[in-house]
Amino acid sequence: MKNILKISTVAATFLFASCTDKMPEEEIAQIGITPCRTQAPFVKKMGFNPSITAYSTTEKKQKGLVLLQIPKNPADTLGKIIWQDSSWKQFGFMGSITTDEPGNIYTAPIPMVNTLEVPTTEMNKIYKVDCNTAKMNLFCKLPKPDLTVEIVPFGVLGVYYDCHGKKLYAASVSGSTRDEEKGVIYVIDINTAKVVDLLKGYDAAGVFVGGTTGEKRLYFGSTRKPDIYSVELKKDGTFKNNKIKKELTLDQLGPRGNDKARRIRYDNAGNLIIHGVEFNYSLAAQSNKPETGYQFNYNEQEKKWDFVKLLN
Amino acid sequence: MKSIFVALIFLAFISCNNNSDSTTKKNSSDKQNAIDAVLIDDSSVMQIPVMVERLNKIKKVLASPQPIILLDALDENAAIAQQIAIADTKFSENLFDKKTHQAFRNEIFNVYVARPQEIPSNLQNEKIYKIEMYNYALNLTTTALVNINNKSVVSVTTFSISQPEIPTHLKNIALQIAVNNPEVAKALGYKPEEKEALMANTKTALNNTKCERSLHLCVAPTFIKDNKALWVIVDLTDYKVVGIRWTNVGTTEAPENRISERKLKFEKIMECYCKKVTHLEKYNWKLNYVITTSDGMRISEVAYNDKIVVNNAKIVDWHVGYSNTDGFGYSDAVGCPEFSQAAVVAVSDPKVSDIVEAGKTIGFALEQSFSSEQWPLPCNYNYLQRFEFYNDGRFRTSGASLGRGCGNNGTYRPVFRIAFAGNKNNFSEWNSNNWKPWDKEQWKVQTPTTTYTKEGYQYKISDDNGTGFFIEPSRGQFNDGSRGDNAYVFVTKQHIDKDEGEKDLVTIGPCCNTDYRQGPEKFIEPAPENIVNSDLVVWYVPQMKNDDTKGHEYCWAESYLENGVYKTKIYPCMGGPMFVPLKK
Repeated sequence: MKNILKISTVAATFLFASCTDKMPEEEIAQIGITPCRTQAPFVKKMGFNPSITAYSTTEKKQKGLVLLQIPKNPADTLGKIIWQDSSWKQFGFMGSITTDEPGNIYTAPIPMVNTLEVPTTEMNKIYKVDCNTAKMNLFCKLPKPDLTVEIVPFGVLGVYYDCHGKKLYAASVSGSTRDEEKGVIYVIDINTAKVVDLLKGYDAAGVFVGGTTGEKRLYFGSTRKPDIYSVELKKDGTFKNNKIKKELTLDQLGPRGNDKARRIRYDNAGNLIIHGVEFNYSLAAQSNKPETGYQFNYNEQEKKWDFVKLLN
Repeated sequence: MKSIFVALIFLAFISCNNNSDSTTKKNSSDKQNAIDAVLIDDSSVMQIPVMVERLNKIKKVLASPQPIILLDALDENAAIAQQIAIADTKFSENLFDKKTHQAFRNEIFNVYVARPQEIPSNLQNEKIYKIEMYNYALNLTTTALVNINNKSVVSVTTFSISQPEIPTHLKNIALQIAVNNPEVAKALGYKPEEKEALMANTKTALNNTKCERSLHLCVAPTFIKDNKALWVIVDLTDYKVVGIRWTNVGTTEAPENRISERKLKFEKIMECYCKKVTHLEKYNWKLNYVITTSDGMRISEVAYNDKIVVNNAKIVDWHVGYSNTDGFGYSDAVGCPEFSQAAVVAVSDPKVSDIVEAGKTIGFALEQSFSSEQWPLPCNYNYLQRFEFYNDGRFRTSGASLGRGCGNNGTYRPVFRIAFAGNKNNFSEWNSNNWKPWDKEQWKVQTPTTTYTKEGYQYKISDDNGTGFFIEPSRGQFNDGSRGDNAYVFVTKQHIDKDEGEKDLVTIGPCCNTDYRQGPEKFIEPAPENIVNSDLVVWYVPQMKNDDTKGHEYCWAESYLENGVYKTKIYPCMGGPMFVPLKK
């Protein structure tokens, strides 16, 4: 009887899973395109115009996260306003940013020139800015790296929130070494801050969830090669399998020819927009780190992404 | 003791330079190809007929009111199109430096009938030519569409960090530079003919070969020998060979093995100097060296006349502070170009050179430079680490900033760590009349009132046999342009059971402390240990204030135009002490 119960539970789980995982084509096609995020209420409360504000972690001489109000005329430098809550700089320099539906902000620490501010052991974390209070607090602690080997001085290099599956994706290279790619892409439940799935063995920075190819896929940019890979996701945002597909490469494209994808997104037409930078796992700093935009269009017939143009 | 000996013997045989030809042939892996690569640092222009002719042409064009090297041998319409384009003010907008009004080197690379997709829809029935001009100094491409029918410029577009396809005459120059380079002939085993070079114009810097760091126009003539291809990266901005590297010829690995300036340099440095210890024996000295992940070049097991005198020495940090008030600056670690904590990375081979005085070789120097990618642009850095070893037993650990940094009010404070051999050492300070021993870990700063022995020594470190070294700080007496060290000296006890910088140190301290708190104090405070008859580490932190005053530049670098392209003039500030053997 116990066995039967067990079998029926398994069957029910299977049926439930296959039922919930089925997604209409139109639904998949809109993943990553349909706007689903709103500006945090505190932005308006502070007197900023939500339509011309943005978050940044790359403002010169500014540690942590800042809110920018960007004038409509870029030449109007006086019209640019920078605001920062005191909690936004207390955890050091930050890197990738993503937001959720109500406007909470998620970001992760990165070393800036050195690891004096945040030791490598403390880098594998994600911080959240509450959309109402504007306060930054620890959201999720990911595993600490093994310090007995010579590891790379980085942790989480990319975060992306997928409204469709309500999951936060975090690409971490923590614990990787020159010879061993030990990066992990974590799938984190946005409500519980718990890791619900993971993909081991991939060092990545830019992460993004999209569905214009007909499948819900997580795209991620390797930090070892100038390539973008993808893996299929279930409706709930966990990994359907571990079949990694190489989608495209930035090799020999752009001014440097070897960029790694820092950020991946769709434009309104579903083209893949890759923001590439040089990355060699060192803390090599320069005053103005050049970044190049790359546009790719999905070729339905050949089932591949075609390079269209450079964006800057 | 036995194990140390074995280790030393082993290290002596793993240098990158010890790869014999037979080994190379047997092991044709990509890693071996990286090891066998040759980085060429000769900035002089090759004296071959085609270059003499080319330089004369450049000089003539730069002196003209319209400094553009035009494309010759065009048909009538193309020649007209070229003339219309260069007469256009927008097309000619970037011919001169806007501040100095000096001419940039500009050259028309291509003039051709525009392709249908390049022609605006309303002009599809017109005769449209496209003209592409390259600005070598700015690494900028300007294109114009010209309507031959009404002799007008349709549009002008500029593309920064962009290079057009190179014309045939530049392909020929690249080939001439490649085939006449002695390293190329050495690698191939014979002097190649021009026709043997492949892909010089089809794989331009824009496509398959790039000089990403210098942002120069580069092409890669490639020579096939057996199942391998020799890539020669030719810099057409400076007319020199950047380096050469073999790749395996195969259908599967082609994309992986495209050789660019960065790949050539980084992989060579990683494989040869970051992952391997190199043994060096010269004159009376033996030592090992390696480029670390964050402590620059580290020398170790330094022996003079077969006696180890220094266990290891390195620069753990470069602190750069920009003012005494707001604490703006950087704490730079220097080291390997990849997989490192370095903010400023090694981009060239270590160099060993003789030190010659009055025509006589009195020792040798080992140097390693580290550079930010966009140096000498503001907020980019270049550091030189230099170790000098003299035949009389003296040695010097020194370091220089070559600018340019983020401002003209910067102070550079490199943190040297020198771990002396022996475990019964004592440290003393000259106290006007005699040597005063230091009993406990402590620090001291060199000031204008500091007293020295008549020879200029401030400290001495000696063992129980009375052997050791006097320490002579720089007061500008080393003929290296130094203005003096104003150095902090710390002495700490070396521990076997805890690491106080013996291994790679991540950043030891903040950028901008102007007092003794440069990092080593954390190994002293709060309870300084007894250092009598101990294993000792000397930390030395010179302070060099930069200067951009014309004629007095120090820790500085400037760009200037030469033959229409930017060159760099450097004003190093060198700091570091000389260690002079005690006379028993």
